Amino acid sequence: MTETGTGLDVDPAVGYAALVVVILSTVLIGVYGLRVSRTTDDFYVASRTVRPWWNASAIGGEYLSAASFLGIAGLILVSGVDALWFPIGYTAGYLMLLLFVAAPLRRSGAYTVPDFAQSRLDSLLVRRVTSVLVIVVGWLYIVPQLHGAALTVRITTGLPSWVGPVAVVVVVYLSVLTGGMRSITFVQAFQYWLKLTALAVPVVFILLRLGADGSPVTGGGSAFTTELDTSADASLYGTISLVIALLFGTLGLPHVLVRFYTNPDGASARRTTLIVLGLLSVFYLLPTVYGILGRIHTPELAASGMSDATVLLLPGRIIDGTTGDLLSALVTAGAFAAFLSTTSGLVVSLAGVISQEFFHGSVTGFRRAALLSALVPLGFALLTDSTALAGSVGSVFAFTASTICPLLLLGIWWRGLTDAGAVAGMLTGAVLCGGAITATAVLGPGRGNGLDWLAQPALWSVPAAFATMVLVSRATARRRPASASRVLARLHTPEQR
Amino acid sequence: MDQPQPPHRVRVTAPRSAARATGASFPVAREMAEQSEVGELFVASLIRSQLRLAVVVAGGFLVILISIPVLLAVFPDINGVRIATVPVPWLLLGLGIYPLVIGSAVLYVRSATRNERRFQDLVDDD
Repeated sequence: MTETGTGLDVDPAVGYAALVVVILSTVLIGVYGLRVSRTTDDFYVASRTVRPWWNASAIGGEYLSAASFLGIAGLILVSGVDALWFPIGYTAGYLMLLLFVAAPLRRSGAYTVPDFAQSRLDSLLVRRVTSVLVIVVGWLYIVPQLHGAALTVRITTGLPSWVGPVAVVVVVYLSVLTGGMRSITFVQAFQYWLKLTALAVPVVFILLRLGADGSPVTGGGSAFTTELDTSADASLYGTISLVIALLFGTLGLPHVLVRFYTNPDGASARRTTLIVLGLLSVFYLLPTVYGILGRIHTPELAASGMSDATVLLLPGRIIDGTTGDLLSALVTAGAFAAFLSTTSGLVVSLAGVISQEFFHGSVTGFRRAALLSALVPLGFALLTDSTALAGSVGSVFAFTASTICPLLLLGIWWRGLTDAGAVAGMLTGAVLCGGAITATAVLGPGRGNGLDWLAQPALWSVPAAFATMVLVSRATARRRPASASRVLARLHTPEQR
Repeated sequence: MDQPQPPHRVRVTAPRSAARATGASFPVAREMAEQSEVGELFVASLIRSQLRLAVVVAGGFLVILISIPVLLAVFPDINGVRIATVPVPWLLLGLGIYPLVIGSAVLYVRSATRNERRFQDLVDDD
C-alpha cells in the first residue's frame, strides 16, 4: 500500500475539508458524551438506558461499514445484478437476529458472546474458545474498514495510503478512550444520519441534473446489460451460499450483539431491531442507485480495479463546479463516517471481551484492551492490499455464521447443548470455513465457478458446525449443565409488566 | 464535573440503572421455572411456541428468497422482461425484497408479543 495520488478528478482541498469536519464532529460528540458518562456501567453499556430510536440509529451507524457505503456500488459496477444480494443479505441478517436472538439475548444479561456462553454452559473452556473466535472475527472485520479508509484518503487527498487507516485508528481510540459506550452511542447515531444524508443529497442533485439535461437515467436500460459486467456471473450455488453466510453471519457479529445490551428489556430489543430493519432498507436503496449510475458514467473504474471508488467519484463526474465539489466532500465525509463508526463499534466490543478476559474488566483495562484491539488490525491492514470490500466482508460473515451463530442459536433454543458440543462445533466450523477462505486466498482470485464451493463455504460449513454441535452434545448428554432449564426460562419469559 | 465527590455521584446516578442490572425483573418467571412443575410446563410451552413462530417466519422468508435465484436459473427468459427499462430481476432484488423483510419482521414482533402476553396471563391466573 505505497501507491500515492492517482490523479483522479477530486480537488484535495475538498477531501481535507470533509475529513476534518467528520473527525471534529466525532470528537466533539465524544467529548460531550464524556460529560454524561459517569459510572462504569455508563462506560460499558450506557447503563442500558438508551431509547429504541437512538439505539436503532446507533446500530445502523455502526453496521453500515465500508462494504455497505463503498463496496456495494463498486460490486454492482463489476458484477451487475448479482451484487444486489449483498444488501439483501446484510438487511435480512437483522431479520434472523430479530427472530432468533434479539429478545432472549437481551434477557440473558450477557454483555458479550463469551459472557453468554459462560452463563449458559457454565464452562470456562467454552468462554475461552468463544473469546478467541470473537477477537479473530473482530480483527478480520476491522481490516476491510481500514482498507476502505486507505482508498478514500488516497483518492480524495492524494496522501499516501497509510494515512487513512492511521487516522481512523487514532480518532477511534481517542473517542473510545474518552467516552466509552455512552458517547459512542451518540456518535454512531449521528453517523447513521450523516451516512444517509451523504448518499441521499448527491443522488437528488445527480438525478435532477440528469433530468434537466434530458439524458435518460438508466441509459435507456443499457445500464443493466450484462456486457458491462467484468466478472463472471455468479452460480446458483454461489448465490445461495452467500445469502446463507450473510443471513446467519449477522447473528454473531460482536459489535452488533453488544448493542442489544443497551436496550432496557427484551421487548424494546425487538422494537429496536424493527426500526433498524427500516433504517437499513432505506439506506441500501442508495448505494444501489450509485452502482447503476456508475455503470453508465464511470464504467472505466471497473476495468482499472478501482470500482470501490464509484461512490466517491460519481458526483464530481456528473456535476461540475462548486456544487460538484461540495457533493464530493459530502460523500467523502459519509465514507469516513462509515469507517469510523464500524471500527469504533468493533473496537469497543472487542475491548470489552479482551479486558474482561485479561484485565479484570476495569476501566483502565478497557482502555488498554481498546489499544490492543485497534493496533493489531492496523498492522495487518498496512501489510496487506485491499481486495473488493464487499467480498472480503462476506468472508467474515461466513466465518461467524459457521462458529458463533450455531452457539447462539442452539444455546438459546435447545436445552440439550453441552460445553463439549459447543466447543467441538465451533472448532469444526472455524477449521472448515477458515480453511476454505485461506485456500481460496492462496489459490488466487483468477478462478472460474468451478471453485465456488471453496470460495463460498457457508452452505456446507454452517450445517457441518450445527451437526457437530448437536451430535457431540447428544453423545455427552451427561455434561448438560444443571442450570439449563432455569437459564432458558429466563431467556424466554417476558419481564414484569 | 468540577466537584470531586465520587461516592455521592455514584449514589445519585446509579440506582435507576442498577435496579435494572440486577435480575430483579424476572421474579415470576424464575420462581415458576424453579419451583413448580406446572411452571416448568408453562415455560416450556412458551419456548416451543416462540421457536415455532420464529422457524415459520424464517422458513417462509427463506423459501421466497431462495426461490428467486432458482426461478431465474430455471427460466432465464425472465431476465429479458423489463418494466420502465429496468429488468425484472433488478426490480425484485433491488426493491422488492425490502418490504418482504419488514413485513415478516412486523408479523413476528406482533405474534411474539402476543405469545408472551398469553404466558403472562396464564401465570397471573395461576
